[in-house]
Amino acid sequence: MIRIMHIIKKEFIQIRRDRSMLAILFVVPVVQLLLLGFVISSEVHNIQTVICDLDDSSASRLLVERIRNSGYFIISAYDQRPSHMQEYLDNGRAAVAVVIPEDFNARLQRGERTALQVLVDGQDSNTSTIALGYINGILQTALTDAIQTRLQGSEAADAVHFVAANFRIWYNEELKNSDYMVPGIVVFLLTMVTTLVSAMGLVREREIGTMEQLLVAPIKKHELLIGKLVPFAVLGLIELAFGLTVAKIIYDIPIAGNLGLLVIFALVYLFTTLGLGLLISASSGTQQQAMFLTLFFLMFFMLMSGFLFPIENMPRTMQYVSLLNPMRYFVIVVRELLIKGAGMHHLYTQGLALLVFGTVIFSFAVLRFQSRMR
Amino acid sequence: MSARILAILRKELLHIRRDPRSLVIVFLLPILMVLLYGHAVTFDIRDIKLGVIDEDKTPAARELVEGMVSSNYFRVSGTLERREEIGEAFLHRRMIAVLIIPRGFGAGLGSRSSTEVQVILDGSNANTATVALNYIRAYFTSRSLQANALLLQLPIDLQPRVWYNPDLKSVNFIVPGLVVVIMMLICALLTSVTVARERETGTMEQILVSPVRALEIIAGKTLPYILLAFVDGLLVIVFAWIWFSVPFRGAPLWLLFYALIFIYTCLSFGIFISARVPNQQLALMFAMVSTFLPSILLSGFVFPLASIPRVLQLLSAIVPAKYFLVIIRGIMLKGMDGAQLWQPALFLVLFGTLLILISVKRFKINLEG
Repeated sequence: MIRIMHIIKKEFIQIRRDRSMLAILFVVPVVQLLLLGFVISSEVHNIQTVICDLDDSSASRLLVERIRNSGYFIISAYDQRPSHMQEYLDNGRAAVAVVIPEDFNARLQRGERTALQVLVDGQDSNTSTIALGYINGILQTALTDAIQTRLQGSEAADAVHFVAANFRIWYNEELKNSDYMVPGIVVFLLTMVTTLVSAMGLVREREIGTMEQLLVAPIKKHELLIGKLVPFAVLGLIELAFGLTVAKIIYDIPIAGNLGLLVIFALVYLFTTLGLGLLISASSGTQQQAMFLTLFFLMFFMLMSGFLFPIENMPRTMQYVSLLNPMRYFVIVVRELLIKGAGMHHLYTQGLALLVFGTVIFSFAVLRFQSRMR
Repeated sequence: MSARILAILRKELLHIRRDPRSLVIVFLLPILMVLLYGHAVTFDIRDIKLGVIDEDKTPAARELVEGMVSSNYFRVSGTLERREEIGEAFLHRRMIAVLIIPRGFGAGLGSRSSTEVQVILDGSNANTATVALNYIRAYFTSRSLQANALLLQLPIDLQPRVWYNPDLKSVNFIVPGLVVVIMMLICALLTSVTVARERETGTMEQILVSPVRALEIIAGKTLPYILLAFVDGLLVIVFAWIWFSVPFRGAPLWLLFYALIFIYTCLSFGIFISARVPNQQLALMFAMVSTFLPSILLSGFVFPLASIPRVLQLLSAIVPAKYFLVIIRGIMLKGMDGAQLWQPALFLVLFGTLLILISVKRFKINLEG
């Protein structure tokens, strides 16, 4: 036990002495959380739009006004030549072009149908779908407004049957994106940092030759392991506390659930990340190899965790693949617990999955480590 | 090329050859990632999990629910008896919206001009909740319009024409971006250790006392990786093109040319890190931490840069991935002429050269001190 304490002490001293390491472990993640939280919680707006109004009537100007006032579009140019629209899209000066035909108003007045041409830069399929949705919404509101003015006071009003949906939104009334996204980024940073330190920690001792010294020292292998990993686990918890504090102060995320429970889940999760790091460390010959393997896992984790890309939208097979990703469960735990205040009885399946992953990965890593050390 | 550069180059090639496992990972990882990301990432939200509380229990109410399901956007994932059960249903994530059809709905339909239903949304995922809200609202609007068909009709046809990616396939958007992210990460990780390794194993002094100049060291250490990264990038692009039929409308030669420039910038970044840190561990961790999230989030890979706050837009100017993303999407999807893309390319050249110059200076200080 005393020997373990010595190793732990050695590791802490090493970490404390190394200013640049501390910067990587704390400063960089916190700065990234601070800045990138704004990126991942941004919704699509400021879509650069060019308007080609061939009609130039009161109706067409009203429509353009509606597009401008929606807050989603920035009208970057007016151009009367429809043939020039392609150029705007080609050189990226606009992502959307709206062409209003010459007879737009005249046809509407006569009660005929007319068309509105919208050209969309489809490269970013997500943004373009959203942009088209916005325009559709603008037309719908325009229509509803028109109907309401037409119906006002007329007898026809009684003949119309509307079913109106009355919405109530729970947990996040203003639908703030950051409530959901920022906890995800905290989890990712925690995963990245703890996997990294544990993946690099042991392979480094081996590559620079200090492993022999540790092996001939009068300590047992499991003592060495515990001594190495405990400081990393402590680091991880501090990291989590740091992250949540920043998230609370800067993004005002809700903390509805029990933080003690969160710490318990985090401890279980750390078995997975530290175990994975250890496994990588034991399977790599050089630090660079360890780093490439870590990169592989991080990219997989990022994709399949629901942190950036919603899992419900994925094809069925990929949803099954995502079940192999331990981070997926922890992301759910953190989000549900923080936002909805979910408790143990809501999260036990996630907890069970984390426990299984932690146990399997960690024991496998320890076995692998011990056979490598022989 | 001087003999001295060649000597360093040969030494670095030996390092690469001695570590076949890294090499395998460097080639396998990008292919695997393109496969996974290409298949998994879709942005269209379907099958919104809807819960129903039918307090009315009339044919009209059942008809309403059936109508929603047949629109293909919703799936009834549970029926609740009382409103008090909603909280638990949300906490177990069984549904994200609950439709409450109040008593008197069916009776009110024929007699009043407007009948109300209530919808409770789980707002914790703001994105999905917004989409669900819009789908539900649109469903009720169009239902109302249809029910009053003679009277009301949207008189304006929306004629959308989507360019460059007419089917709005997210693969076409994600895969070229992923190529950029992977190249950036691999290049930075590859070169960040080159100098740090010498320092850590103590061979740096040997190189420093040899008659090799700083620029020659850097050139010799970078060149083999340029080749490696180039083959790697090529492999991924060709794979994406064949496997996912991502369109390739522009000139491949231009893309290859610009890819070389991008690799040069990424490798310079790796060298820049390598020249400043004392050991491989720090070099690798720094390269990873400083490139991973910024290349993904600040490059326009997933989140359009136009939507992010101004300060961050300015910050994104120093993310090399951002520039190559404009180039690769421009050439592959838009079929742009390579000459039109000289601006982002020029920036990459300048940025890379600046980093190299700083690194050389750093070496000289080492030489003298």
